[in-house]
Amino acid sequence: MKTTARPARRQVLALGPYSAWAVLFILVPLLFVAYYAFTDDNFRFTLEHIQRFFTATSSAEGGEVHTYLLIFWRSLKLALISTAICLVLGYPIAYIMARAKPKVQKTFMTVIMIPMWMNFLIRTYAWMTILQDTGILNNFLAALHLGRIHIIGTEAAVVIGMVYDYFPYMILPLYSIMAKMDVKLLEAARDLGCSSFGVLRRVVWPLSLPGVISGVNMVLIPSISTFYISQKLGDGKFFLIGDAIEGQYVANNLHFAAAIAFVLMVVLLACMALLNHLAAQRTEGGGL
Amino acid sequence: MKKIVELKNITKSFDGDPVLKGINLDIYDNEFLTLLGPSGCGKTTLLRLIGGFDTPDEGDVLFLGERINDLPPHQRSVNTVFQKYALFPHLNVYENVAFPLREKKVPKEEIQERVQEMLSLVALTGFEHRNVTRLSGGQQQRVAIARALIAHPRVLLLDEPLGALDLKLRKDMQVELKKIQKQTGITFIFVTHDQEEALSMSDTVVVMSEGRIHQIGTSVDIYNEPVNAFVADFIGESNILDGVMLADYKVRFSGAKFQCLDAGFGKNEPVDVVVRPEDVDIVPLEQGQLTGVVTSVTFLGVHYEIIVDVGGFKWMIQTTDFVDVDEEIGIQLEPDAIHIMKKSEYSDLYGDYSSFSNELEELSNETLGEEEE
Amino acid sequence: MRLSAKIYTALILLFLFAPIVILLVFSFNSGNSLSVFSGFSLHWYQELFRDANTLGALKNTLVLALAASLLSTIMGTAAAVGINKLRNRYLKSALHTATNIPMVNPDIITGISLMLMFVFVGRLMGLGTSLNFWTMLIAHITFCLPYVILQVLPKLRQLDPALSEAAMDLGCTPVRAFLKVELPEIMPGVLTGMIMAFTLSLDDFVISYFTAGNGFETLPIRIYSMTKKTVTPKMYALATLIFFAILTLLVVSNLMDDSGEEGTAKRRRDPRRGGKFLAGGVVAVALVLIAVTSIAGGQNVRTLNVYNWGEYISDGSDGSLNTITAFETWYEETYGEKVKVNYSTYASNEDLYAKLKSGAVSYDVIIPSDYMIARLQEEGMLRPLNFDNIPNYEYIGEDFRGLYYDPEERYTVPYTYGVVGVIYNANQVDPEDAQGWDLLWNQKYSRAILQFNNARDAFGTAMYRLGIDVNTLDKRQWDRAFQSLVEQRSLVKAYVMDEIFNALEAGEADVGAYYAGDYFTMVDAQAPTVDLQFYYPETTNYFFDAMCVPDCCQDQELAEIFINYMLSEEPAIANAEYLYYACPNRLVYENEDYQEEMGEEVMEILYPEIEGFAELYNRYAYRNLPDEMLTYMNTLWEQVKIN
Repeated sequence: MKTTARPARRQVLALGPYSAWAVLFILVPLLFVAYYAFTDDNFRFTLEHIQRFFTATSSAEGGEVHTYLLIFWRSLKLALISTAICLVLGYPIAYIMARAKPKVQKTFMTVIMIPMWMNFLIRTYAWMTILQDTGILNNFLAALHLGRIHIIGTEAAVVIGMVYDYFPYMILPLYSIMAKMDVKLLEAARDLGCSSFGVLRRVVWPLSLPGVISGVNMVLIPSISTFYISQKLGDGKFFLIGDAIEGQYVANNLHFAAAIAFVLMVVLLACMALLNHLAAQRTEGGGL
Repeated sequence: MKKIVELKNITKSFDGDPVLKGINLDIYDNEFLTLLGPSGCGKTTLLRLIGGFDTPDEGDVLFLGERINDLPPHQRSVNTVFQKYALFPHLNVYENVAFPLREKKVPKEEIQERVQEMLSLVALTGFEHRNVTRLSGGQQQRVAIARALIAHPRVLLLDEPLGALDLKLRKDMQVELKKIQKQTGITFIFVTHDQEEALSMSDTVVVMSEGRIHQIGTSVDIYNEPVNAFVADFIGESNILDGVMLADYKVRFSGAKFQCLDAGFGKNEPVDVVVRPEDVDIVPLEQGQLTGVVTSVTFLGVHYEIIVDVGGFKWMIQTTDFVDVDEEIGIQLEPDAIHIMKKSEYSDLYGDYSSFSNELEELSNETLGEEEE
Repeated sequence: MRLSAKIYTALILLFLFAPIVILLVFSFNSGNSLSVFSGFSLHWYQELFRDANTLGALKNTLVLALAASLLSTIMGTAAAVGINKLRNRYLKSALHTATNIPMVNPDIITGISLMLMFVFVGRLMGLGTSLNFWTMLIAHITFCLPYVILQVLPKLRQLDPALSEAAMDLGCTPVRAFLKVELPEIMPGVLTGMIMAFTLSLDDFVISYFTAGNGFETLPIRIYSMTKKTVTPKMYALATLIFFAILTLLVVSNLMDDSGEEGTAKRRRDPRRGGKFLAGGVVAVALVLIAVTSIAGGQNVRTLNVYNWGEYISDGSDGSLNTITAFETWYEETYGEKVKVNYSTYASNEDLYAKLKSGAVSYDVIIPSDYMIARLQEEGMLRPLNFDNIPNYEYIGEDFRGLYYDPEERYTVPYTYGVVGVIYNANQVDPEDAQGWDLLWNQKYSRAILQFNNARDAFGTAMYRLGIDVNTLDKRQWDRAFQSLVEQRSLVKAYVMDEIFNALEAGEADVGAYYAGDYFTMVDAQAPTVDLQFYYPETTNYFFDAMCVPDCCQDQELAEIFINYMLSEEPAIANAEYLYYACPNRLVYENEDYQEEMGEEVMEILYPEIEGFAELYNRYAYRNLPDEMLTYMNTLWEQVKIN
């Protein structure tokens, strides 16, 4: 029929390019990761690389450890810590922003965005200048006779770098969901006898969950796979999963690099699917 | 009179749920026709089929005798006033009204002229440069009407256009709409769930429920001669009782025999008997054809609305005489107060006021209105 | 706002802007350190405007970000409209999932996956250069799309569906109804999406790193490649300028908002206006910057793709010669036609190798180090040179010819060479300890020692120290070196490449090994409390970087003309002075002006008198190791690092 055909054609026009793009440049490349991960240099099937990921060991102080599992765990740990800090620091700021006057909100938004316009590598360099033993922070502490602290080259420095670089990614989704929240709801909760904290816990928090999920997602993902921050702020001592992939790529072991990437991808996709599933259960159709 | 829109055997369902079940309707030139029914009865869907926003699964929509099932909205000589007006928030009053003409590439001077003409028709001269989002509900309404009329459509569709206005404004707009329709001579198809609105404005009322048309007729016909218990109940207040036709012009209900004006039923055929609350006369106990006990009295300004228990069935009666609660009274019915209907699937669903409460009624009306949106 | 909220906000802003302030301050540093401020100067801004390559990279970054954000906005908006209208639940959720993938996938995986595909497809189709501007653009559009879609979709959902119906009812075709009525309504979302896409594209490094190819270098890649010669305040100056450009834009856009309509009408219209203006401004600023930076460029008739280490050629700073532009000018004067040099940079030999090996790029001239040359040559990835086109080869000193990596002098023309030495802070290190490689293992300087952050060089230091042949094929020897590195680990403050400049200059660390010439760069920038000294251990690494033509070359003659030009006096001296490494070209090291410019001390350290240089070099330089050994070394290295 003509009428049903017409909207269909329009939909093809609107969706066609994107669908094709998504298949060609999102899905197919992922298949290539899998393909490389399960083949050897001559593109014959092998489990060798995947096996290596799970079984390779190295001797460390305190005995044998599984090299890549350890690296993976370490990356996950640092990423989780960074994400948690981003959430804890970002949540109040997003709340303050969302409750500010509209004009102030706008300014806030741009202020949060501005650092993202400075190149990420440059920003990381600047943090080196701040954090190193003879850096700005330590000079400042020394001037106040507070003694010096050693941060650079520790996990703390890497975490600071991650928190700094991905902080806006946490704030933006939190803010946008809180800004949409109806003030009347908060007033109603107040009216019904909630304390300030009660309002936060029983109304604001559950309503902001989709934003929390998407913020966590947007911080956790890049921080688990970073390789530049760990090189610069970790004094090259924190070998993370991103470093491992990059290292194997540079050493031209594309297949093993793909294998690490494959495992990382599978684990993350599973985690995110689970997280979204849980969120969907709690907030019905909240979506990302 | 010329048929302008004909609907032939229309069916339509969404996701397997039938919404329209075989609709046949002729709409004539220059008439003010109202589709009336509770929410979910399919009246808005019917409107959308005429407007071109949906296509029927089966059946045909004819416009001046031509099948227009597949004609997209912008090629139909039909315009719509939307429920919440759908004014374009990024355009001011003038540009909203001028929109259809700009689409048709009408010369500037002509646009200017016609917009002014329209604005004066809806009494909004001087509002040209206002932001539409800053207008009152009534003003927005007028802009929407002006915008829909400016292209001189043959038919104007109005989808519950007065639903968002307060009572006073609604009354004014009813008068105004009627006036505009008379002035322009355009066919209006009006959708509402408010029976009072429907009765006061329409030349023709179409009562619908659950995807079917129950009755098509003038306001007076619909009120006085409802075809079944649903229509009787939906249009105004009704006491609907089980009765038996004893013979032509003779009916028996509530344990008494009454004279009536209806004939043509079978002997002893069970029927529905409708008595409008204002047609019941209260008489002293001994003179009553029926007797009952008053259970509640509500003062409504013009009259009292009282509920009377007659042998277990609660009647609603509107009267100007004051009676007291628990008072025993007599009831008398003139033959023209009694209206007999054939039994239908709706027979036992309506017409008893035993659980009646004004508040409940209002509440349910409101939710109806909201669901419609 | 309550006081506590105010204080909290202030602290967060401090955290967000502290690095920005640092970067601002140090962009005015008169010295070349990023951590020791030696005085106020506009020096680096001058340098920046002389540096056509950096400006070119800025232009590329902006072009890419603009193109990617515009295209992804158009496609993403269309997609959002389609998705929003979609009734089929399965199709809808499939599209949602596909949209979410780039967001729940780390960028490193997006980058690698696209790279693998491009390389594979490129190889299948027999393309010489499957990685280029277009692949980068595709990659950027791909990761920008979800952000646009997720900004636009909610706006579409909020949209009253009656609006577009009303428009159609009033005579619009569906497409016009979208453009005239829906688009203006969802515009804020579209603009936010576009600004986000632009920001993300501008800031992206990881995905660009994997998908970058021929002759199209963006700023992040250029910065990342600055591993041999470190990042200078010039980059801070660039960041500062970008910062102020944006700030101006924001202030102006805010002012525009205020001076708009009065009072009541404002709330509704302004956000959109501001957004529109902001987006328009972004586009305008980007266009202006592109226009400004492209003045340097010209028409490209003949193109030469040069792939070199980061900061490894004289770029016109300090009034020196910009050898690339000089070559272009010289070529046009000599041959009467234009030539365009696409200059891009890599961070390590392995980086270069990975790109070449992928078969997805095409370069005409590369400048790898000796052991990598040997590897490339073994794998047939180099072309023999036609020395008829390189008459200036005669100026290469006798000592520097026919070295192990090219014994028959067929493939290479030496560019620079150097010797690794130990640099230490004499204020902290006892002069008696300052000898040999043992200093890097000295307990006294625990946590003040720097080690190379790359396997070959780190193992090198351990092997020289233990007297092991750095090219040994005996795994037990490698294990010994490995043990030594593990022992050293607890003493090491940091594993570094170019970060060594910063660490030694500021006194962060006291001991480290690096290339002789770089020692002088550090001395120039050292903090007042630091006194850097230098010595050569008895056995150490000698390296050569030489110009070669890879087999993916597309214009060998032009490549050879370029190589020959680089050997002529003026550019050769400019490069030597810029690099501060030794130059094997007689026109340079015998030139008296050059010697004078360098000074005696520098000449002595840079060009140590070495009897039988070639023999010594052949003995101690890194050679290409077989794959098996390389894998073994890398595995050991990972183990050193994960402990």
